[in-house]
Amino acid sequence: MALSLTDVSIRLGGGMLIHPVSLSIKPGEIVTLMGQSGAGKSTLLSFIAGDLEAPFSASGTVRLGGAALNDVPPEARHIGRLFQDDLLFPHLTVGENLLFGMARGPGPERLKMMQAALAEADLAGFSERPPHTLSGGQRARVALMRALLANPRAMLLDEPFNKLDADLRAQMRDFVFRHIRARNIPCLMVTHDRGDAPDHGRILRLKGGEVKDA
Amino acid sequence: MARTLRRLTPLAGALPLVLLWALPLLLSLAITAASASDTQAWRALLAHPQLFPALFLSMFTGLAATLTALLLTLIILAGFQGTALWHRLQACAAAGLAVPHLAFAIGFGFLIMPSGLLARLASGDASPPAWITVQDPWGLSLTAALAVKEIPFLLTAAFAALFRGDAARLMDQHARAAASLGHGKGSIFLRIIMPQLLAQLRWPLVIVFVYGATVVDMALVLGPTQPPTFAVVAWHALNDVEPAANRMGLAATLLLTAILAMAILTVHGLLHASRDMQRRFLTAGPSALPAPRIGAGIIAVIISALLLLSIFLLLPLSAAPRWPWPGILPPLTGGTAWATLAASPAPLLLSLGLSLAVSAVSILIAVLWLETQPEARDRWLLWLALLSLAVPQLAVAGGQYRLFLDVGLGGKLAGLFLAHLSLALAYVMIVLSGPYRGFDGRYMKAARALHASPASALIRVKLPLLKAPLLTASAIGFAVSIVQYVPAQLIAAGRFATLPMEAVTLSSGGSRPLTAAYALALTLPPLAAFLLAGIVGRPRWR
Repeated sequence: MALSLTDVSIRLGGGMLIHPVSLSIKPGEIVTLMGQSGAGKSTLLSFIAGDLEAPFSASGTVRLGGAALNDVPPEARHIGRLFQDDLLFPHLTVGENLLFGMARGPGPERLKMMQAALAEADLAGFSERPPHTLSGGQRARVALMRALLANPRAMLLDEPFNKLDADLRAQMRDFVFRHIRARNIPCLMVTHDRGDAPDHGRILRLKGGEVKDA
Repeated sequence: MARTLRRLTPLAGALPLVLLWALPLLLSLAITAASASDTQAWRALLAHPQLFPALFLSMFTGLAATLTALLLTLIILAGFQGTALWHRLQACAAAGLAVPHLAFAIGFGFLIMPSGLLARLASGDASPPAWITVQDPWGLSLTAALAVKEIPFLLTAAFAALFRGDAARLMDQHARAAASLGHGKGSIFLRIIMPQLLAQLRWPLVIVFVYGATVVDMALVLGPTQPPTFAVVAWHALNDVEPAANRMGLAATLLLTAILAMAILTVHGLLHASRDMQRRFLTAGPSALPAPRIGAGIIAVIISALLLLSIFLLLPLSAAPRWPWPGILPPLTGGTAWATLAASPAPLLLSLGLSLAVSAVSILIAVLWLETQPEARDRWLLWLALLSLAVPQLAVAGGQYRLFLDVGLGGKLAGLFLAHLSLALAYVMIVLSGPYRGFDGRYMKAARALHASPASALIRVKLPLLKAPLLTASAIGFAVSIVQYVPAQLIAAGRFATLPMEAVTLSSGGSRPLTAAYALALTLPPLAAFLLAGIVGRPRWR
């Protein structure tokens, strides 16, 4: 199902932060939105995810598979997110972090899915480890698997490679894009670094409150 | 010469704290612990007819008050989190914290007693209900008062944990991540915020439990009498003129300490044993559970109303000689109680003077320590301060009493001062050490580069920049000191009377207006101190 924005604008106090923008992202497509710090990229993601807070206000419609999401609370939107920080919960082990967003069901089945996800992330045997004992790259992989195990219908990436070093960045980029494409879900990524964008993907630029094709 | 002086400075900086606080505290605890070998005292204690029922009452009131306060605090936090009222709640909690326990207990008693305000509001013209609401045999009124009064403390401790360093931002991001994984606000609180918060509330909870199970002044006002709580049994024995009874009292405080320690370890063990169950709950999967906004609102309103009514009711009661049934409020016919209080101002003046001196000396000693000692040494000091709060006050006071008698400080003003200093300095160190150690040292380097001497840089740069935490710590030191009852009553040995001593004495059958006036006199100075600290401490540059 596609993720679409119709006439979405965001205001900050009395001023317009983002002028009305409409766009549609197809299943399996990764669209990159570029812009400088403070341009409003992350604010737009917050609006799509449903947790935009004062002093920002927004208008326009967010749809996922044709259904409007504006009145749906964040937890019921089925939109996965990756942030600049991995945000693994420190009081839970790596395995427990993965189980956290996984749909309820028989215990052994959930455990099997969790182990399979860890193996997929090259982290088999790490389920009992506390998150702080993992390297930055390992933590980033766990964060992605955690988001994907919650079965999202779309993904929002908020500069997820920002804090990784150059080598790790390239690896992680491939890892993330491969998994998102494999699940055939639409994805909007915001970044200020063009190098983060997938090859041959659509790139948009947010400048002066206007979103345009780069 | 210069090298010798440099070596002497850390020693001189540590001496006041060690001699006036740490050493007396450790010796007092040692004296109480030594009573373990007094077989006669133990025999007398074990033969005491009220031993087991009183112990049961103490444990019940302590545990029930702590669990109730914790549950209500968590519901309030869960319901208000992320709302516009979140920061206002912080200010309300701080105001509730400033109300002294004893004054609240007296006001709460006037509120719930059969001829109290609540009964008048509920019964209309009928005669007062024949309920036992104050000093009930199950300790329910004491439990309720303790629970209500500890909620502001737990809220303040929770806010301190939630706003420490980067915690608030991180917690907010965790909440967003959890929402994107399908969890509702209630589920996020239960599975993400609460487990991390509870880990940081362990010490405050221990302090609340120990305080609730060992409190004397509130128990004398609201607690049952036949039998009383075990703390009151120990208290009467410690106050007895008979040395044998006195030793039994010391053994009783030791027994109480041991039982509380066992209870805390048992709870810790149960929590550890139920770890798998907790894990299953945390990882059960997404739940849309919403935040308990309505429940939290109702609880916050009830708690605020109880706290406010209990204190504000003291105003008309202190200004009226009688409160005839069924009038909701007494007729304001004069302020004879205030005139009586003003006619014998010694307790008020002694309390104010002593608490001001204790607060000032506590700050001075704490700053001397923090300026001259390396940060690594704070750790053992803070442990000792926490220990002094987590050990029943009776156990410290009982040992302190014997120690001060031995060194000739019993019944002396200096002894009374040191008894007040013991708890006040512990709080001042806990509150002040974080902001003081967190001070950006580059400001001092900049001042020195501008030719300021070390003393001048301290007085003209560092202390003004640390004005807010210094004033808050002073207000806390003052508030803790002025409400001291147990150690002060023992050390004063009948030669001095302070506000809490008078208030407790009056509450057991004395004049109602005078009791209310003393309770108010006990409430207003700490409130004024916190208000002043808030106003004067506000940075000019923001």
